[in-house]
Amino acid sequence: MSFEPKIVGFLCNWCSYAAADLAGTSRKKYAPNVRVIRVMCSGRVDPTFVLKAFQCGADGVLVCG
Amino acid sequence: MASVRSHESIELMTYSEVVEVSGYVGNFKVKIRKKPRYVDEDKCTGCGVCQEKCPFKADNEFDVGLGSRKAIFTPFPQAVPNIPVIDPDSCAYFLRNKCRACEKFCEAGAIDFEQTEKLVEVDVGSIIITTGFDSFDPSPIVQYGYGIYDNVYTGLQFERMSNASGPTGGKLQLRDGSQPKSVAILHCVGSRDTNYHEYCSRVCCMYSLKFSHIIREKIPDAEIYQFYIDLRCFGKGYEEFYNRLQEEGVNFIRGRAGEVTNVAETPEEKGKLIVLCEDTLIGRQRRIPVDMVVLSNALEPRADAGETAKLFSLSRTADGFFMERHPKLDPVATMTDGIFIAGCCQGPKDIPDTVAQASAAAARVLSMISKGEVEIEAATSIVDEELCSGCKTCLELCPYNAISFDEEKKLASINEALCKGCGTCAAACPSGAIVSKHFTTEQILSQVEGVLI
Repeated sequence: MSFEPKIVGFLCNWCSYAAADLAGTSRKKYAPNVRVIRVMCSGRVDPTFVLKAFQCGADGVLVCG
Repeated sequence: MASVRSHESIELMTYSEVVEVSGYVGNFKVKIRKKPRYVDEDKCTGCGVCQEKCPFKADNEFDVGLGSRKAIFTPFPQAVPNIPVIDPDSCAYFLRNKCRACEKFCEAGAIDFEQTEKLVEVDVGSIIITTGFDSFDPSPIVQYGYGIYDNVYTGLQFERMSNASGPTGGKLQLRDGSQPKSVAILHCVGSRDTNYHEYCSRVCCMYSLKFSHIIREKIPDAEIYQFYIDLRCFGKGYEEFYNRLQEEGVNFIRGRAGEVTNVAETPEEKGKLIVLCEDTLIGRQRRIPVDMVVLSNALEPRADAGETAKLFSLSRTADGFFMERHPKLDPVATMTDGIFIAGCCQGPKDIPDTVAQASAAAARVLSMISKGEVEIEAATSIVDEELCSGCKTCLELCPYNAISFDEEKKLASINEALCKGCGTCAAACPSGAIVSKHFTTEQILSQVEGVLI
């Protein structure tokens, strides 16, 4: 069985979250390994969010903005 | 335009430029630079004597290089306001310190060579941006010969030529003054072309059809050829107009023209421009000799769209036009509250669509004015005054300058009208005193748990 990483993505509402949304409306596929959490700005991402994600078993954390 | 100028609640500022915008919805401060016209707007009666007497000429920008204007001029007879402007780059007084003919003949004494630019600041509640488009310059497409062959024109040049107050007085003519007996109109020049603009410019099909109609009217026996990829006659009454032109005997050739050349292969082609194309309906290469070629060139974002976007904090789409808040549900608003866009600065569109969009933008502004209050974002940040230590970390970080420092209480305070709820302050606050509403630390941590466990 191949490795399927669990990735938590913190996406900025105005760019990367909008892009993920656009991918959806354009019927484009992306890997389901990334689980998206919307923030109003990537500046909102507190280091504790990242640590919490690893603590809960994430293999990677993506901060986009 | 004239009724806009005479409206008591509208102040029209032409020959002016916005240089700075600050504030927020309901409280914008806009700094405007009024360029010197060298004509006193209050004294000028618009009689036009100065334009008659001025001995110097320059290319008329409005006629796209086809006609000339004086050094003191109004761009076209119906221009509003009917007050001329002196172009320092072609005026002998500015270049060589002599002449002043306009001043001598002006009965109203309105000429003022000492005028300087003025900065004015206005307070406004909302802003509508309608900066329009630029016409694509087809000279990079060398195979069409614009700028190489005399009788290759752009759509806008043809439009000026066909206008009764244009450089030829409405007469369709070649550069040597003779009347064309055959005209080719090439569609999609610079648009629907991945080398230049991928998008469709929307208006060219219909104005190309209009040109055919004008040619048919002014030169009844002319041969007219339209070279098209496909005709997009999408609007009300447009398809009917297309059918009418087919009945008027316009030749429609499906196929993008490949080249315009003056190299004749047969005696009939001698002295003519030959349009080479593949007629895809009969599957054959064709050579069509014509006297005049009109390029239906694309609409493109204005050259200074980037600076305008910066000035008003607008986003732009990949093609360079200003981006609306939502393409379907909020087509005239922008990401900044109180700033709206309308017309071709948002994307190519024809006159009915522009009027509809401009009306929508005006209605949006009026609804805000009549309500007297604005709805602000629900997701803003708030300061817990008990926890705030007054360290001022957040003040520097806020991208919207929404946080100020209350000197009396020694605490940070957030202006909710300015706050966009980005939460940068909440993440950075060392005391954990700022709460980003709807995106609290607890909410986000629970979401992390939710997606992983």
